[in-house]
Amino acid sequence: MRVLVTGVGGELGYRVASLLERDPAVTDLAGLDARSPRRRVRSMRVFNIEPTDRRHLLRAVQDFSPTAVVHLGSWEPDARVAPRPAAERTSAMAIAVLGAAADLPAVDRFVIRSDIAVYGRARGSAMVPDESVPPVPTTPWGRSLLEVERLGAAAGRAAGVPVTSLRFAPLMGDRFPSPLARYLRLPVVGFSALADPAFSVLELGDAAAAVMAALHRRPDGPLNVVGPGAVTVSQAARLGRRLPVPVLGPEWALWQRVAGVARVGLPGHLLELIHRGRTADGMQAESALGLMPARTPDVVRSMFGWSPPAELRVVRGAA
Amino acid sequence: MTSVVGTGAGGVVGGVVGALGRRLRGEFEVDQWGADPELVDLLSPLTGLLLRVHVEGARHVPADGPAVLVANRRLGLVEPFVLGRGVRQAAGRRVRFLGIPDVAPIGPVLRRLGGAVNRPAELAALLRAGHVAALALGPGYRRPLRAGALAPEPLAPALEMGVPVVPVAVVGGELTGRWDVLIGEPVPRPTSRGPLALAELADEARSGVQALLDEAFPPRWPFS
Repeated sequence: MRVLVTGVGGELGYRVASLLERDPAVTDLAGLDARSPRRRVRSMRVFNIEPTDRRHLLRAVQDFSPTAVVHLGSWEPDARVAPRPAAERTSAMAIAVLGAAADLPAVDRFVIRSDIAVYGRARGSAMVPDESVPPVPTTPWGRSLLEVERLGAAAGRAAGVPVTSLRFAPLMGDRFPSPLARYLRLPVVGFSALADPAFSVLELGDAAAAVMAALHRRPDGPLNVVGPGAVTVSQAARLGRRLPVPVLGPEWALWQRVAGVARVGLPGHLLELIHRGRTADGMQAESALGLMPARTPDVVRSMFGWSPPAELRVVRGAA
Repeated sequence: MTSVVGTGAGGVVGGVVGALGRRLRGEFEVDQWGADPELVDLLSPLTGLLLRVHVEGARHVPADGPAVLVANRRLGLVEPFVLGRGVRQAAGRRVRFLGIPDVAPIGPVLRRLGGAVNRPAELAALLRAGHVAALALGPGYRRPLRAGALAPEPLAPALEMGVPVVPVAVVGGELTGRWDVLIGEPVPRPTSRGPLALAELADEARSGVQALLDEAFPPRWPFS
């Protein structure tokens, strides 16, 4: 299996690449991203190409000629870049990579990263949707990923191969730059005084395991991958010994500024999670992928248990 | 799940103090629909003072696995809590009631107590997770002893998944605080297939509730 992984500069991409490197079924491995992975993956050939550079992206995909494409190259707003460039990069990368791969005769499977934000949380919508519920995204991140899913489905149809869209709950993991994790790690955490709804998360290692299972089992269609159980924002803050503060309507504008001072963005999908909650039914993925993700409360507890990476300083004269 | 409130005065106080401590530390369970069983248990003594519930036919509620209870209502403000308390007391199952408004702050508060929106996808998810869910008939505030209408669509997940549909009559009064919950036998599976099966299931459920109401309050004809 010749596997092309996009988004290897991100934490999820790096983890998936590391798992693929040890997989005996993988004969050739290539990674594609605007930046290199944080550590070298020995057997992986890395293409550092900007997502807007379509010509070079097409050439890289055609030259490598993968049999399997793992598309993880989506930019969550305010994770590494601002919301608008995040949406532009996500769209540009998906069009180029999935479009180019669809024309390759050797491609026999696609695995695509998505998010349960695609379901949206319109008033009166189901709180725990399964895969049969039509996605109606209500945030830019949800819309962005639904577009990626549609591009993936179109590529799959063109190539006549299965496409697995993994709709992950918000990811949490060591050194993973998730806006939600950054927000919950603030010393004072604002929560919706009128709602404080439940949300679920997914541990980063479980997301990587889901990608590997999807690559081998080749289920066709979307699958929700969600850590069982849920927590509320105020509960998560208390689990992490943070101070939960109830925030009402207009106070949120002020709260966003306060979080901004701490360099924590509150993009639309995070605000929606705080006000309307975000969960989904992950039972189908558990059986289709043979995966039992860690429970949401345990993942949140673990997140607070991680110590921040130690800052390395060069001591003059010691070297 | 066991009750957080112990027995005896010391046990009750200790249980409440322990539960409050866990809540301050965030060490409690909230499910994906936002229900907080420990909070419901903490409020149980209070609801016990306001609602005295007598249950008949609790054996018809499955001991485990999913089920749909179809119950009558007048305004529908108190009946979900009466039904929830009654079934919890008599059958040991927690009831998820559908039909909450999805508007803050009422919706989120009702979610904490076990509510969910009345959407087939929501009911399907609850049933897949093995919950007992309650659907209310149309309001009957003008004719309280008549079972209201039941649209077939909300029952679609129950039909597709082969989940038992159990008629329930909730009778009593908000002024007295005394309520009777009468639980009937699960309605028979429809003999038809296709769209007719769903309509047949809804009719059977509604008729089952009406039969329970008639049993509780036999019709009095002028010359009988």
